[in-house]
Amino acid sequence: MYQTSDIRNGLKVEIDGQPYIVTYFQFVKPGKGQAFTRTKLKNLLSGNVLDRTFKTGETLQPADITEGTHQYLYSDGEAFHFMNMETFDQLELTPESVGDARNFLVEEMEVSLMFYKDRPVSVDLPNFVELEITYCEPGVKGNTAQGATKSATLSTGHTVNVPLFIEQGEWVKVDTRTGDYVERVRR
Amino acid sequence: MRAERCRARGRALAALRRWFEAHGYLEIQTPVLVPSPAMEEHLSPIEAGGAFLRTSPEFALKRVIAAGLGRVYEIGPCFRDREIGPWHRREFTMCEWYRTGAELGDLMDEVEALVDEVARALGVRPPSWRRATVREIFSEATGLDPAIASADELSGIDESFDDAFLRRWVSDVEPAMRGALFVSDWPASQAALAQVRQAPGWPVACRFEAYLHGVELANAFLELLDPVEQRRRFASANAARLAAGEPPHPVDEALIEAVGRMPRTSGIALGFDRLVAALCGWDSIAP
Repeated sequence: MYQTSDIRNGLKVEIDGQPYIVTYFQFVKPGKGQAFTRTKLKNLLSGNVLDRTFKTGETLQPADITEGTHQYLYSDGEAFHFMNMETFDQLELTPESVGDARNFLVEEMEVSLMFYKDRPVSVDLPNFVELEITYCEPGVKGNTAQGATKSATLSTGHTVNVPLFIEQGEWVKVDTRTGDYVERVRR
Repeated sequence: MRAERCRARGRALAALRRWFEAHGYLEIQTPVLVPSPAMEEHLSPIEAGGAFLRTSPEFALKRVIAAGLGRVYEIGPCFRDREIGPWHRREFTMCEWYRTGAELGDLMDEVEALVDEVARALGVRPPSWRRATVREIFSEATGLDPAIASADELSGIDESFDDAFLRRWVSDVEPAMRGALFVSDWPASQAALAQVRQAPGWPVACRFEAYLHGVELANAFLELLDPVEQRRRFASANAARLAAGEPPHPVDEALIEAVGRMPRTSGIALGFDRLVAALCGWDSIAP
């Protein structure tokens, strides 16, 4: 059982038979009353966001969630295949479970998979990944002006905004939480 | 400590003191260490050396009013245990003032003028205020009339009316608030130290709260003057604390005696840290 004082971002709880992760919380206390914790909870199965307010003294049920390091193997067009790095067991995830993580998934990348009651439900990418630019307009030499960007396609097919000096075939570091370009990397 | 925040707070403090001085208020310093910290059920005081750190200067300032001063204010540190968040800290600065003969509408006028003064000192645009009742604000946000709805209709959870009302208040009503707002006529069960009167539909506390961008800035009372009723509310808050497994607050006899001698008075407690943070558009009251 969790108390309201245990609530923090990333806490996984079960509500009405569904697993949720806390994505936002705020302590609130009206001037003349009981204290509450206002939360936003993301359903780990559907991705839906629920607003819920807990009164101090109420308890929350922990969700049966486990996590483990896996290597991404390949996609066969219908499912994404991963391998458990400890047991070498292979398993597949639906595109819905992979979600936006597919924008940054490249073969052999190590990621953390989250399981709810032993069923894989989501992919947790590293905060930063290095990906190849497979297409962009030619670079502009010497142009390092702040803020000027162009669109570039990554090897995953996803597009990001990069500075004008970036060339096709170069590798860049991307922040998977925001989808933003971070820096050019030498390979 | 951020220089920008220290500077803003310093300017705001000076502006407040200027405003009070210009309006005939006397600055008072009352003890921070007190024998009785509060009367309300849901305040957790911090104990210190066999006494308590005050949760507000309310009791002491009422004794000053009973002693014959008509316009007094205090700006100083107050302490509330277990309150930690972007808009809550265990130690914060309260700006509290009392004025004999004033009605709640007079205090709203004063809040407007004083916030104006502080906003100009901070170089931000003064907000323009709306005045509304709890019933209006609550039903605009939820479609429910709290004077009629039951606890079950309000939250769908088996809990008291006050808990259900406040659960909806913090979940749906406060987040929908925009700009600067006075909300008056609170449920009589949430009167604390305010007088109660019969309003259309339900009995209400003569009390208002001031909000800026959804942040609760201040709470004002038309002060209770009946020592018997004051003692009854102390007892009732303490009974609720005992039932919840909390230690009862010591009853402040000097306050009860002072309440019986006070003339008609309105008083207000304003969170100084929140005022500056909300005006400056900060995301918290952290220093």
